[in-house]
Amino acid sequence: MKSIEYNEQLERDVLAALSKPSPWYWVALVVCALLFVTGLSLWLYQILKGMGVSGLNNPVGWGTYITDFVFWVGIAHSGTLISAILFLFRAKFRNAFNRSAEAMTVFAVMTAGLFPLIHLGRTWFFYWLFPYPNQRGLWVNFKSPLVWDVFAVSTYFTISLIFWYTGLVPDIAIVRRYATGFRKKIYSIFSLGWTGSLRQWWHYNRLYVFLAAFATPLVISVHSVVSWDFAMSIIPGWHTTIFAPYFVAGAIFSGTGMVITLVVPMRKIFRLEKLITINHFEKIAQTLLFTSLIVTYSYIVEFGLAFYGHHQFEAAHFTYRLLGDYQVLYWIMLFGNSLLPLTLFVRKLRRSIVYLFIVSIFVNIGMWLERFVIIVTSLAKDFDPYAWGLYKPSVVEIGITLGSFGMFFMFFLIFVKVLPVLSVTEIKEEAAHE
Amino acid sequence: MDRRNFLKLLGISSGTALISSCGVDKANEKIIPYVIPPEEDIFVGNPAYFTTTCTECPANCGMQVTANEKVYHDVRNIFPTKLEGIAGHPVNDGALCMRGQASLFRLYHPDRIKRPMMRDGDGNFRVTTWKEAYAKIIVELAAATGEGKRNMYFSGRTTGTMSGLTDDFCKEMSVERLPEFEVFSHANLKKANDIVFNRPEIPHYRIENADFLLTVGADVVETFMNPVASANHIQKAKDKNNLSWYHIEPAVSLTGVQASKRFAIKLHSEVYLLAFLLQSLSQQNSLKKSLPARISRLIPDYSITVIAERTGLSEENLRLLLSRFANAKTPLIIAGGVSTAQENGLETAVFAALLQWATGMTDNTVDFDHAENYGSVGSMLDVRKLEDSLKNKQVGVLFISRTDPVTYLPEAEQFVELMKNTRLRVALSDFMTSTVQECDIVLPLSHSLEAWGDAAPRKGIRNVIQPAIEPQYDTRSEGDILLQIMAQKSGAASAQFYNDYLIDKWHSLYGEGETVGMLERGYREEPVPSLPAILSGDGTEAFLKNAGFVVESSDKPVLVITPSIRAYDGRSKVLPLMSEIPDPLTTITYGEWISVSDKTAKKMGWKDRDEVAVELNGVSLKFPVKVQHLLPENIYMVQRDLIYPQATPVDSRSGEESWYVKDISVNATGNHIPMPIMSGSMHEDNRGLLPPEEEEHPYEHKEEHPVGRMYAPHEHDNYRWGMAIDMDSCIGCSACVAACYVENNLAITGKKAHLNGREMSWIRLEPWVKDDETINYDLMLCQQCDDAPCEPVCPVYATYHSKEGLNTQVYNRCVGTRYCSNNCPYKVRRFNWFDFRLPEPWDKMYNPEVSVRTRGIMEKCTFCIQRIRHAKDKAKDENRLVQDGEITTACAQTCPTNAITFGNLMDKNSRVSKLAHSNRAYRALEELGTEPAVHYLPKKESKEEA
Amino acid sequence: MKRRVAPVVITAYFLLFALFVLLMGYFWNENQKTPVQPINFSHQIHVSKVGLQCTFCHTTVEKSRFAGIPSVQKCMSCHKSVKTESPEIQKLTKYWNEKKPVPWRRVYSFTIQNYVYFTHKRHIKAGLECSNCHGEVKVMPHIERVRKLEMGWCISCHRAKNAPTDCWTCHK
Repeated sequence: MKSIEYNEQLERDVLAALSKPSPWYWVALVVCALLFVTGLSLWLYQILKGMGVSGLNNPVGWGTYITDFVFWVGIAHSGTLISAILFLFRAKFRNAFNRSAEAMTVFAVMTAGLFPLIHLGRTWFFYWLFPYPNQRGLWVNFKSPLVWDVFAVSTYFTISLIFWYTGLVPDIAIVRRYATGFRKKIYSIFSLGWTGSLRQWWHYNRLYVFLAAFATPLVISVHSVVSWDFAMSIIPGWHTTIFAPYFVAGAIFSGTGMVITLVVPMRKIFRLEKLITINHFEKIAQTLLFTSLIVTYSYIVEFGLAFYGHHQFEAAHFTYRLLGDYQVLYWIMLFGNSLLPLTLFVRKLRRSIVYLFIVSIFVNIGMWLERFVIIVTSLAKDFDPYAWGLYKPSVVEIGITLGSFGMFFMFFLIFVKVLPVLSVTEIKEEAAHE
Repeated sequence: MDRRNFLKLLGISSGTALISSCGVDKANEKIIPYVIPPEEDIFVGNPAYFTTTCTECPANCGMQVTANEKVYHDVRNIFPTKLEGIAGHPVNDGALCMRGQASLFRLYHPDRIKRPMMRDGDGNFRVTTWKEAYAKIIVELAAATGEGKRNMYFSGRTTGTMSGLTDDFCKEMSVERLPEFEVFSHANLKKANDIVFNRPEIPHYRIENADFLLTVGADVVETFMNPVASANHIQKAKDKNNLSWYHIEPAVSLTGVQASKRFAIKLHSEVYLLAFLLQSLSQQNSLKKSLPARISRLIPDYSITVIAERTGLSEENLRLLLSRFANAKTPLIIAGGVSTAQENGLETAVFAALLQWATGMTDNTVDFDHAENYGSVGSMLDVRKLEDSLKNKQVGVLFISRTDPVTYLPEAEQFVELMKNTRLRVALSDFMTSTVQECDIVLPLSHSLEAWGDAAPRKGIRNVIQPAIEPQYDTRSEGDILLQIMAQKSGAASAQFYNDYLIDKWHSLYGEGETVGMLERGYREEPVPSLPAILSGDGTEAFLKNAGFVVESSDKPVLVITPSIRAYDGRSKVLPLMSEIPDPLTTITYGEWISVSDKTAKKMGWKDRDEVAVELNGVSLKFPVKVQHLLPENIYMVQRDLIYPQATPVDSRSGEESWYVKDISVNATGNHIPMPIMSGSMHEDNRGLLPPEEEEHPYEHKEEHPVGRMYAPHEHDNYRWGMAIDMDSCIGCSACVAACYVENNLAITGKKAHLNGREMSWIRLEPWVKDDETINYDLMLCQQCDDAPCEPVCPVYATYHSKEGLNTQVYNRCVGTRYCSNNCPYKVRRFNWFDFRLPEPWDKMYNPEVSVRTRGIMEKCTFCIQRIRHAKDKAKDENRLVQDGEITTACAQTCPTNAITFGNLMDKNSRVSKLAHSNRAYRALEELGTEPAVHYLPKKESKEEA
Repeated sequence: MKRRVAPVVITAYFLLFALFVLLMGYFWNENQKTPVQPINFSHQIHVSKVGLQCTFCHTTVEKSRFAGIPSVQKCMSCHKSVKTESPEIQKLTKYWNEKKPVPWRRVYSFTIQNYVYFTHKRHIKAGLECSNCHGEVKVMPHIERVRKLEMGWCISCHRAKNAPTDCWTCHK
């Protein structure tokens, strides 16, 4: 049973993060904001000029934008995984990460959600993708995986948001306690009059468990749906049954990578070493390693299907993926996703934060490239050789992609300054159990 | 005087008929009435059809113009929106080539000369009035004659009444009329026929009656004489007497690729082959008529081995040719193109004529009575004459009409200088060509769709030229101009209009009734005196005595300058559509290239787009490389419109200019030039686009897994539209592609877009190289699959399956996810990346029946659904179903060989169902189970040949 | 200081909203139901008083997609002599003398007309009255639009009369 002092201390440690930001914080924030705004203006330019400003063409109708979409959805998943699934399994180490992971989820889904709109030829009619009653008496085509996406992503966003917020309520209440003046007002509004009464806690826990249970299957369903955007088509390299599990694993893998990428600097900056310990990192590293193995297995299976099934088009495609115009990207991807993570079998490396950080960067790059390779190589060379063509991202596409990162990190930076980055209550709880 | 009053005067109204296309006004919020409604009963939904003649090349195909009522810039008027061949026309029988289809781009071209111009004191052109221009001409003419100088009238090929008028003009104004200037003068052919038959003409080759056709270098389906007619007749011959068609050429051409057998022959050695055939055939006395001894002994006689060595043809191939000739009932030999435009050209032509005569020549095959109208076309010799008289400052006023020597002559600079030796240079032209730049007075010509006239493509045919639109600018027809000049000279108050002149002529020639008939039909066939061609022993003997046969000893690289199917001799280059549509052999659209033999390329390690420097005639020209299969080693090809004219030897006997540039050297510069090659790969790898080969059938597993389906198959009640494409008939001329562009308002996207793979064509020709020996084509357009991969993936139902089996696309519902295009295995959907559309004033040609798609929309072929809709509307009025053959798509309509058949697959007796169910039929990528509505009939492998 | 920010923001917001509404109003006004015609032509007079049939002027309504708009010549065929003193007719005569078309304003125009295939002929043949869609024109001094020409409206009628509802029946 820890003493009151401990709790006081803990709260102060966590809330220290909310104290007056350093100039470096401002620099980072401004940089991200600028990227974000550049991205937006490029998008506007694209809307005014036409999709031609992208590098897309016949036959490659999808490229960077869809890659970004899948990438960000993937990122989102590990958030849910860490906070919800690990919560259900009562995995202690999660407490260090869950708050930022959940935040990450919310921001990533927001970012991801933009890309389907960005890639539309006539963005201004995006609302036609939603089933709403209209005088034309027209509905959406429920056969189309793109429509499934609409549902999957919107549901996912709503649930993640609620889940995240629910977890926040008790902590906001704590912040309210420490905050003053105008901020106090705001916090008290958002703490929904949390008093910490037993009854509230009882409800809170019921709701939190429920939401966790609700969010967990979404990880599977949402990314399966995303993968079906490809699997449901007939294009060699897309049209395969392993895509759903393959993409889900990939999502968790990339997400875990992103968690490390985010948490390492956060821990340093806000001096949370006491709370986010090396053991936590090792656990995460193990998750990373595990999912990496699943992903690698999927890569092998893909080729197996293509060549064992001696299907002319599939075989031709995978040869192309391995040795064709985009082979460099493919090899980088293999290195980042399959080879490098293997080193995490070594305990020493698993426990080296710097090393983990480097690996996580490679994983992020590798996973982005994985989606790019799958999307582009399949389209570049499909059935009719006459129609073959290459694709190269244009400045606009790169700009918008960077913009999306700007957006994501901007939100994240704002988050760490206005909300407790760690779940105080849960850490208390954990401590209490010891 | 406008066509309306003219027709009143004739007391007829133009025939309206067949298919129509039309539309309500564009989305402008105004609604514009006529000030005065047209005489004809033209209203939305009922366009007018005018019969006229295509003037894009000398072939003069009969052409039917569709003129639609629409509002353009707040004026309701009628505009020609589509051109089609006149069905049953003796020349082109309903078909039109890609250049003909595209000639609307000339009619509406923004760069046309819009008003008469005259050079002022400081040498700049300034706008002037016709009267002023005429006055100046008249004065100068008089002055020149005063000085004892000669005035000259130098024009492009002129036929029909215009030719007569020109003579009158020249007599009246004391002007000398020079032989006409054509780049493809076929001088050697004419000369050879003069030598052998005393007929300095180009006969009308009646291919449809032949059972064996040997084309020696003549690119009969591209530019030689009338490609549309030739293609059409080759098909007729195939159907009628199972024609087998061999082609011999030193380079490679689309024609060669299409022949049932193609032999690559060494440069200059055609003459030996022909000589060999003559001799051997006479030795095995299988000649129908044996040549007189005095001739035959002058024909070189070599053993088969020598010939095999000289020509590069294998002995068995030589024997094959012999047996072909021996067994053929009505063989036909057409020598021309690359084989007659060379040092041995005349000899080749003469021997071809002799071989033809000896193996049987009747008016059925070689018809001199209906000779092609090239009589008044001169040769390089005549150009030299002109240059001499210019040199000697003998020329006063020089008229240059409808021709552009400065562009086409190698000695351009020199010619320009010489032109300065005249008092006055008068240009009659529609464009500011390099020649026109050098003239003092520019008289803008109306397009043939704005003017009256007639044309005589060959003896016995008179084509009508009548306007479908009033002149858009201050331009006049050549006839009017000449008449007005004469009138102004004689001081007459007002000149006679050329169309009055025409009617008088026609009435006097054919009488009133026949004239009306001719105007409605668009042409008139008139009887011609028949005099058989007789072998002239003396002429031939005399020629053979001092004929010299060049032997190509050196294997130095040689550049062959070929005609272009897209630009003819270069004159059609101004049509933007001709750059937009890929060259059928290379699939290159914009820019220039040099074709390099695949063997050479392999040896030198060159790839497509590598830049090479070609040293020739002391200059160095740079071209990107296009590797060309089937091209013999050391032979390089550049199309005439992609290179400045090169000084090549001119045959002093005929005046034919050689197309070969010898002793060139080609070296890589190390640069790479981006070049829009539309084809991603020329190797089909037995993917199921071409018919599967027997041995390895890619669909062998098909039976093993039956197709399971989640949704019930589509129901079709009355119609399921389908298409059958016979790749054995298809000659790759790309006329269908051009027709589609014009009919469906496809945009011209330009070079940059093409480099980014953003072409808009809904239909394309795909060349496939098979084991480096043959090139086969397939014609790819939307397959209107019954289980279409594009349909289920569209989130908003923009594309869906119509009850009639079409994958229709509702343009204004499309949000532009491009998922449908990704999922289309045939990649026939086109996305509008920017606001691709025709710039003004070309948008005048838009078909009001078809929406002009805008930015961010996916578009595609829907079997010309506007035509289907109209036919059904008509059928509904008559309360019946649409009959077979009532509708045809634009591509099928213009096909010279009727390779495309469109119709209703539900009707078991329709031509298309019959073809679709023939045992030859296959479908592209059938293995995917998309159930296409397009059925292909493969090219017949000429097995019995080998 | 802080206290002033909020009200400013709020008023700004409402001003923007007002502007938006005005703009909407403007655009709505663009395709208003009764556009101002260059000549104050009255269908009421021509149909009710003079007793002309619709087809007298809209000649192609039975045989074409487009009902047809009378040529200036046609108007003049009567108005050379009729009511020449009226200022409106003088406007017409002016157009005629300048050989200019009268720039009538459209009353019935599809929003994205370019993509719509509508044929009067078919609807007349199906036995519809002009008034079914155009209202009682004969009592309209100023012609005005009585239908919105929305897709839903077309479809509902097509369904009721079980006319074809395939997209490409009306789209192009």
